[in-house]
Amino acid sequence: MLKITDLKAEVDGKEILRGINLEVKPGEVHAIMGPNGSGKSTLASVLAGRDIFKVTGGKVEFKGKNLLNLIPEERSREGIFLAFQYPVEIPGVSITNFMRAAVDEHRKHKGFDPMNASQFLRYMKEKKALVELDAKLEGRAVNEGFSGGEKKKNEIFQMAMLEPDLAILDETDSGLDIDALKVVANGVNKLKTKENATIVITHYQRLLDYIVPDIIHVLYNGRIVKTGGRELALELEKYGYDEIKKEADKRF
Amino acid sequence: MTQTNIKNKTFADLYSGTKDFLLPNIVRKKSTNLFDKIKLPNNKTENWRKFNSDSIFKHNYKLGKKLSVETKDLDSLSFFEPSGNYVILVNGFFHSGNVKNTDLNNNIFIGSLKDAQKTHSEIISGRLNTQNTETENYFSVLNDAYAKDGAFIYVPENVILDEPIYIMHFIQSDNGNIFSQNRNLIIAGKNTAFKIIHTYHSLSSDFSFNNSLTDIFADEKAQLEYYLFEGEGNTAAHVNNININSEKGSSFKSNIVTFCGSVVRNNIYAEFKNEFAEVNLQGIYMPDKEQTVDNFIEIKHAKPNCRSNQIFKGIIDNKAVAVFTGKVFVAKDAQKTDSAQSNQNLLLTDYARVHSRPQLEIYADDVVCSHGSTTGQLDNEALFYMKTRGIPEKRAKTMLMKAFLRDVTDKINVTGYREYVNFLISKRLKGQSPESLCSVKVCPSC
Ligand SMILES: Nc1ncnc2c1ncn2[C@@H]1O[C@H](COP(=O)(O)OP(=O)(O)OP(=O)(O)O)[C@@H](O)[C@H]1O
Ligand SMILES: [Mg+2]
Repeated sequence: MLKITDLKAEVDGKEILRGINLEVKPGEVHAIMGPNGSGKSTLASVLAGRDIFKVTGGKVEFKGKNLLNLIPEERSREGIFLAFQYPVEIPGVSITNFMRAAVDEHRKHKGFDPMNASQFLRYMKEKKALVELDAKLEGRAVNEGFSGGEKKKNEIFQMAMLEPDLAILDETDSGLDIDALKVVANGVNKLKTKENATIVITHYQRLLDYIVPDIIHVLYNGRIVKTGGRELALELEKYGYDEIKKEADKRF
Repeated sequence: MTQTNIKNKTFADLYSGTKDFLLPNIVRKKSTNLFDKIKLPNNKTENWRKFNSDSIFKHNYKLGKKLSVETKDLDSLSFFEPSGNYVILVNGFFHSGNVKNTDLNNNIFIGSLKDAQKTHSEIISGRLNTQNTETENYFSVLNDAYAKDGAFIYVPENVILDEPIYIMHFIQSDNGNIFSQNRNLIIAGKNTAFKIIHTYHSLSSDFSFNNSLTDIFADEKAQLEYYLFEGEGNTAAHVNNININSEKGSSFKSNIVTFCGSVVRNNIYAEFKNEFAEVNLQGIYMPDKEQTVDNFIEIKHAKPNCRSNQIFKGIIDNKAVAVFTGKVFVAKDAQKTDSAQSNQNLLLTDYARVHSRPQLEIYADDVVCSHGSTTGQLDNEALFYMKTRGIPEKRAKTMLMKAFLRDVTDKINVTGYREYVNFLISKRLKGQSPESLCSVKVCPSC
């Protein structure tokens, strides 16, 4: 589904991704871990199409297409979803209108007519129930005045609405209390199918108890320096990144 | 009729040989004498520096005549209710009007100010020439000197109207460029509550220059909502002078949509004549191309315990210019004044310009006065976020711009009119130029 080859990217002339290689197949869950500032969010942003990051090398193939040739809205319609580490507040745009526009555009892309108002509200209600989003939020402006946890839940709600092929969840667990964490993980698991894939970026083993990854990668200094199974997360929890960093610093 | 170049001659020449002026000759004489003292503003005149007078006065004008409008031109103004209370004016002259049968026994007056001088002289006297602006204004003096007619709205004590009263003004040229003036008087009697929708349109594409003056009186405990729509075409210049007199416990809420016009200058002056009154001024403007929209606001807190609030928001496209001056004067004994002002602008291009100037002059010590002004571009973070949900750039921008204006447009308390305004804003924000939207033939159901 996703094949990243030797991806390099910079911002303001500063190289941040220094050659990423990663392959994600349908049905898989990958976790990306790594110290602060290692480039995890940058990788997510580059995949979503944020233009402040300049891709200076490498290839990204998504469902057989050259992803890097698509603008962000096309990537979304093709099936990429990024749950933001810091969801953006949009004063004056209600969640309902926001999602209406998004769902419309996704349907148009697939050749479907827009839903009528009542169909849409029914659809929204169904998805809200799935991720246990508070009903009071829908009339409010997107993320405006939301608590940290509400913002993260709202990301998962949007994911449920758009049913992506590849979801990238950037620290969706940070700032969540244990109940909210379970709700969010539960939502993600319910949305999981054999056809879609998930990349979870996290600092904590705790999330991985609920969203169980097939493969774990460690990103450090703009490179994936280690890849392993579930046991890698437990190892990191115990020993931290010191060993991996030292080893990587020697290699590069 | 001859065409006069105002730069070389004077407005007096334009009006020479005509008669039937509104104000008594004694007042008019005083006004015309003032022209020795105040000159047509140019880019060096204080408070008028950004006013693009050249673009107005490079044309020759003749006086607009008393012409007719066709009812089909009104059809497209979807907010208008022909069975409701209304006055229609053309080039400043009364054209037609209606008072609903059910309102006849309320003794309300909705019609020509010129006519009302005969029937309502007592009510009108003393309210026609208040000349209360702090800063002498050439155009209000000009209106005093030569205005011939306009709308008079009088709602006597204790009358409450649910439906809005419409004042609709049309610029219409038979041939050539038109100069016209209208003089309006709105009296909201004690304990009244009603709404006015005051709109300006043009029916021809010749150049026009319209100098309007509206005196508004909110008597004790009156509650007046005043919606102003400036929709004269993009070959139209409009100077709109509005004077608000607020009596004890009154509430005046206005909402100004400046949608079209080559140069639009709003001179708004509000004075608290007594305590516990409230004045709320909101405005939006969306100039494009080479348009200039210039809002000049003066609020005089002469008495204690009054509240004023200004919120003006603009989206400035292409090479357009927006000017905002918000003066708030708080007299020494106007304690417990509560005054807020905010001007926010979105620039859509590198050439668009904004000049925003708050001016607070405060002589009382127990007051709350705030002001803020921001000028910026659309939020790129928000745009990216929306795009990652599949929303294309254009649609996302439109949504963000609408959202920016929403807190002002949402406060329009007349459904049909709000829908009309939102319809035009949507079209405009989707990229349709004002020229094509300022025609009265554009409407939600046309
Ligand atoms: N817009 C930007 N301008 C300049 N530098 C940036 C920008 N965005 C990211 N960086 C830098 O790139 C590096 C990687 O940042 P990134 O946000 O990808 O890290 P991260 O792995 O997600 O960290 P965290 O775990 O703290 O979220 C950091 O050094 C950061 O300062
Ligand atoms: Mg990050």
